[in-house]
Amino acid sequence: MALTRSERVPLVTDAIPPALRRRGITQRQVFVACLVGWLLVALFASRDTPGWAERLGDTALDHRVRGGVGAWDETMETLRLTGPHDRLRDAMQRVLDWQWGQDSR
Amino acid sequence: MLFPTLDFLLFFLVVAAALAALERRFAIKKAMLVAASYFFYAQWDWRFCFLLAGSTAVSYVAGLLIGASANRRTRRRVLAAGVALHLVILGIFKYLDFLVASANQLARMLGLQHELPFVEVLLPVGISFFTFHGISYITDVYRRDVAVCRSPLDIALYMSFFPQLIAGPIVRAAYFLPQLARPADEPIPIAAALLLILGGIVKKVIIANYLATGLVDPVFGAPENYGGPDLLLATYAYAVQIYCDFSAYTDIAIAIAALCGFRFPRNFNQPYRAQRLREFWQRWHISLSTWLRDYLYKPLGGNRHGRRNTYRNLMITMLLGGIWHGAAWKFVMWGALHGGGLAAERMCQPWLGQRSTTPLGKFVGWLVVFHFVCLAWIFFRAEDFTVAAVFIARLGAGWGGPVQQAQPAMVALIVIGMAGQFLPPGSFERAGLALQRVPYWGLGAATGIILAAINALGPEGIAPFIYFRF
Repeated sequence: MALTRSERVPLVTDAIPPALRRRGITQRQVFVACLVGWLLVALFASRDTPGWAERLGDTALDHRVRGGVGAWDETMETLRLTGPHDRLRDAMQRVLDWQWGQDSR
Repeated sequence: MLFPTLDFLLFFLVVAAALAALERRFAIKKAMLVAASYFFYAQWDWRFCFLLAGSTAVSYVAGLLIGASANRRTRRRVLAAGVALHLVILGIFKYLDFLVASANQLARMLGLQHELPFVEVLLPVGISFFTFHGISYITDVYRRDVAVCRSPLDIALYMSFFPQLIAGPIVRAAYFLPQLARPADEPIPIAAALLLILGGIVKKVIIANYLATGLVDPVFGAPENYGGPDLLLATYAYAVQIYCDFSAYTDIAIAIAALCGFRFPRNFNQPYRAQRLREFWQRWHISLSTWLRDYLYKPLGGNRHGRRNTYRNLMITMLLGGIWHGAAWKFVMWGALHGGGLAAERMCQPWLGQRSTTPLGKFVGWLVVFHFVCLAWIFFRAEDFTVAAVFIARLGAGWGGPVQQAQPAMVALIVIGMAGQFLPPGSFERAGLALQRVPYWGLGAATGIILAAINALGPEGIAPFIYFRF
């Protein structure tokens, strides 16, 4: 097949540099990496999930999801996995509340 | 469905599972991505899907008709009809009420009694982006820059691919369609993709969101209540906010496309380090500025017909670029400032040169360009001309009074946002190469933990990306 003009001459620069494209993974490994990341988000970011579930609709399934999400957050709290989230949020709030001329302690 | 939300995480997990299952079935993979993209778009309003499908059909049929004809006049007529149809769709949904309001205002000024009624059409998200995709495709087919796409599936995916559907980058047909012709045999650059996602989420969730709620929104909402320091820092904060917000979206879009096995073009390149306004536009929203250059500025004549015509073409291009952002006179003003600035810079080029060579010249060039861009951002962000005028008038007042909104955390976020503009070239590549040594499951785990940390550090609830409304 004959190449068109644009296929011969690239119009724009790729966002990811060629050096970073030489090594990579397969589509299946992408899924595994996403799954691992997703599980860790579920473990350590459960604090905001009840708020997310509140925005769901009003079907029976939505109510079941809401109940499940609440129970998940409570389990994570029992396992003390919500501690880092709470401490980070408190620290950020202190930084935001700091004002000019105020003692930083 | 916003990128940095649990909804999108769930959506993408399902898409990643489907992509893994369809690894060797390219045609089904493309069909699945079209279905996923329409599902993604339907989360805003399912009725918009018909508009997207209509726009796709216009592009597909126009491409086939142009390709089928050897007669130059026929090809030109089909191109004109296709572009006009796209612009009519965009005009009805985006500009009709603006034109009605402007006509009514003019009628009042002329003392006429009759007023046209408003249509109040709902603005479909991303309409400007997929309209530009459609125009780009049929123009490229007409110019023979790209082969006619005979697969409805390919053109549907080009127009609707979910990472770029809502806020770009504007991906050219000549760049994207060849990727759909055959499966890519290159590995997926996981390290670069995850780095782009994490960087994007930090920029959006922490920098842009806190600057918006803590400084920009209150000060731009009532500039008469604030003194010079708050107003000046709110201007800098908006410059950082809009960069972090928009570049975050395109960084995540580039990364998501890479994880799906596709390439996207670069859209930002540290724009606030530019020392010339022209250089700023070579670094800011590159996919839009090159689109405007290739489909508007050059067809108008570009710089080929003398200085006066070049200035006129720059002005027209930037005015239309301004109004592309939204149906309001403030965007026209923003475009006029940039058009005028580019023309003035070109006029002074014999004295200024293409680039400054001395450190002082570089610094002065950067200072002037950055503050000119900030001045134009005031019109872009302010509610209307009156607010922008009050804002600018009060910039010189109240310098002795206390700072109300620009507290240390806000100043720190501005400094962090600006520091990112001056990272040495190649920093991203070096960080990506270092991360490539980590196994892929380790990268996934680290990304999960960092995302959870960013979620804790960010405010509750995420504001929509600024460019969604364009």
